[in-house]
Amino acid sequence: MRSTARSFPQPSPALLSGTGATPAHIYYEPRVIRVDTTCPTSLPSPPRRPGAPSAQRPAMAHTSAGPSPADSVPFPRPAYLDHSALRHLLQTDTPSQLSSSPKPDLAVVRTEYAGGRRRVQRSPSFDSDEEDSITPGEISSRHQENNPLMSSALLRLPTRWSEEYRSPMLSVSADGRDLTYQGSPSNSDKDAAAARTIFPIPPACGIYYYEVEVTSKTNNNKGLVSRDFKLTRLPGWEKNSWGYHGDDGSSFATEKTGTPYGPQFGAGDVIGCGIDFSQNRAFYTKNGALLGSVFDNIGKDCDIYPAVGLCHLGESVRANFGQDPFKFDIEDHVLQQRNTTWSRIQTAPWTWPVADGDKDLTPASTSTAETRAKSQINDLVLSYLSHHGYARTARAFEAQCSARGGMSTLRLSKTFPSSSTSRVSDHDQIMDMDDVPQTPTIAPAPMDDIEIRTRIVHAVLTGDVDTALSDTRTHFPRALDADAGLVLFKLRCRKFVELVLEAAELKKRMCAEDAEMNVEADGEDKGISEGMGMDVDDEADISSTGVTNGFGGGSSAIPIKGKRKASFAYYSHSGLLGVIAAKYGTALEHAVAYGQELQSEYKDRPEMRAIFKRTSVIVAFEDPLEAGGDAADVAGQGARVSLATEVNQAILLSQGRPAHPALERIYRHTAASLTQLALIGNGAAALVDMPRELLDA
Amino acid sequence: MPPRTIIRKEEWERRLREVQVTKDDLNRLIMDYLVIEGYKSAAEEFSDEANVPPPVDFESIESRMVIREALQRGDIEEAISRMNDLNPEILDTNPALYFHLQQQKLIEHIRHGRITEALKFAQDELAPRGEESPEFLAELERTMALLAFDSSSSAPPAISELLSPAQRMKTAGEVNAAILESLSQGKEVKLVQLLKLLCWSEGMLADRADFPKIDLQEGLVATSRKEATDDSIMRE
Repeated sequence: MRSTARSFPQPSPALLSGTGATPAHIYYEPRVIRVDTTCPTSLPSPPRRPGAPSAQRPAMAHTSAGPSPADSVPFPRPAYLDHSALRHLLQTDTPSQLSSSPKPDLAVVRTEYAGGRRRVQRSPSFDSDEEDSITPGEISSRHQENNPLMSSALLRLPTRWSEEYRSPMLSVSADGRDLTYQGSPSNSDKDAAAARTIFPIPPACGIYYYEVEVTSKTNNNKGLVSRDFKLTRLPGWEKNSWGYHGDDGSSFATEKTGTPYGPQFGAGDVIGCGIDFSQNRAFYTKNGALLGSVFDNIGKDCDIYPAVGLCHLGESVRANFGQDPFKFDIEDHVLQQRNTTWSRIQTAPWTWPVADGDKDLTPASTSTAETRAKSQINDLVLSYLSHHGYARTARAFEAQCSARGGMSTLRLSKTFPSSSTSRVSDHDQIMDMDDVPQTPTIAPAPMDDIEIRTRIVHAVLTGDVDTALSDTRTHFPRALDADAGLVLFKLRCRKFVELVLEAAELKKRMCAEDAEMNVEADGEDKGISEGMGMDVDDEADISSTGVTNGFGGGSSAIPIKGKRKASFAYYSHSGLLGVIAAKYGTALEHAVAYGQELQSEYKDRPEMRAIFKRTSVIVAFEDPLEAGGDAADVAGQGARVSLATEVNQAILLSQGRPAHPALERIYRHTAASLTQLALIGNGAAALVDMPRELLDA
Repeated sequence: MPPRTIIRKEEWERRLREVQVTKDDLNRLIMDYLVIEGYKSAAEEFSDEANVPPPVDFESIESRMVIREALQRGDIEEAISRMNDLNPEILDTNPALYFHLQQQKLIEHIRHGRITEALKFAQDELAPRGEESPEFLAELERTMALLAFDSSSSAPPAISELLSPAQRMKTAGEVNAAILESLSQGKEVKLVQLLKLLCWSEGMLADRADFPKIDLQEGLVATSRKEATDDSIMRE
């Protein structure tokens, strides 16, 4: 019994010529392979174009033929893979498209080399011919554009032995997990038989692990075979295969000479095999105990598949690709490796990642460089605070930095002149901080600006669009021109919304006053009626009718009418109601007029009309904030927040500042780099969990 | 060698937008920095302005900073006594830290030309510890070498840098980390971890792919002012 990780290298004629032993089982065709679910082993091998640039386009196709996916019991992604940063892309189950594809005879599973090596499953309907005209050099970038690696591409995990890539002497169970040797009862290595899984191991796993249990009763399990594409040799004996052999406990790395590695294994043993892409090494376990790292440079430039070789009649194994709990505590192992990876990255030497103007200024010593990095981090923090308008924090921070001498050049206001950096210096000349090289290019954001900007943002947040508009017009006129006046238009739209909300609010007050009055009328009918000489019962009737009949949801006419009646009874209330009602009328008129003004003013600007159309939906609701859906989206505080953000960005852009703070861009850039690294096979990157390391409290 | 991946700017920008990170997340990174680096009043303001809950008691920042300031002006006695006020276990359980503080004290003696005190202090306090550990001994020797040069400028950099402000900052940093640890507070600034990760990932990816590198200058400097001007001209 040999449990192995093995690799199938990029196709080459040499490998193809070696397929004679198992004809018709392996196909190399750069893009597409036919899948015939009824007769998987009788497919004609598609002709291979001699001129195909195999090194550049080794898109090895896989078929998923054989037992239909329904035979495999779906299982969730094994828990240890939750520690991969790309866990959301790692998939165990078969997409439903596989069986429901309208063209089942065409390739439904497609792999390609995106980013040079990593295979990505494509959607079933992908037109395989369209890239024929593309030169290899164009492929990667083109695929990057077409194929959003980040979100929609899924990485398939090995889940079962392949019906295609197996020796004919092995039979695969319906669920794809059992392999049984059914060859001739000889004892020769020539009868070795191997199988591998359908899908290779995505390096984005970081660490991948599976276990194989030796299920046969026979003791002699030594003959486990897997050999490149012949599938008639044991894993490890051949190029691009690595194995651990049960008969002698040796490990074999791409050659027939073994190295003593672990104990022998046989019937009843559970052998685990893992590959750690962060080190490009493998490891094995026996019955839950780690045997140690083995092999070097594994999985660097080729795909790796789980594989098993057998060579005696009656031998059988059952694989666990995560369907069942593992014997070995793989999760703990992954966590250890993840921490190791993180500290390796964190202890690596680093420099401030800016190609700044003073490159030629070689730091006198590392300590000076540290001091300088510190001041640049302070700049980073201050620019962030300034960006988001945290004016008081920025001022306090700047004052403390200046007092400490930890700020290089970024300065908010004139209150802290540049000489302040050396304020801390004592009488010792050597303590003079001015020997820190300074970056002279960072433009200050005057504190005044931050405060005005903060005021504008605050005005938008509280619905005071007029103040926001006039302050912006006075201090940052160019911001309003941004995007051909779009920001100005959005602010004006918001003003319209605020006017409508104001009217709605007045109406709510009207209803509230009215309801309150009804309560009083109901409860105090006797007492109040005395001095007024009014028929209270009558009043109460009208009011209660009003209440039950929909003051809440009716048209505006009803509550106003009700209130007028009420005014006979309660002078003070009715006076208030009258005032509110009048205010409401004015507010509504005002809002409508403003809306009409906007509509006519921007009638030639389709993109703005679309925005306005969406905005004006709120008029249809009595209380847009409570209405939910679109109206609430348009009217709610969330809309104010995003508009405030937009206005802030427009102001910053108009001052020649970036729309996003450097800190945010650093974070995003780092995350995107890590994802890309993980996708192209850097296992260490796959083990870096940024949110966990940096964001979790 | 696998072929290089080419990622165009638009594609890269799209991926940047897909990264999940919120303003609150970044605010916490900032707060972490302000607290660990001891910007107490800024941390207080930030907690209020950005509505970020303070991860520690602000007073603990204050006492940490008093100690740090004492170290930065060379008042080692003061720092040690305040550390013991705060938590005597910090120094008791950390012999290397205690040695570095004593070493700093020796450096301060030498800096101020108090040669007699320096020698006596070295013999009484440091030499016995130097016998305990080769690392301490090497440090002691390096420090004593300062006495061999009449001015720091004539000493080789490896020795003269002991007199630099960076040496004080190094000691202060060690003390800061030890105090933070005693408060079960993270001692590594997450912002710095992020920057290290940025360097690592960008460097690794640059070996395998062509993609738009980050330009931090653009983040801190007004570089697009020209574009903004052009835009406004176009519109007028």
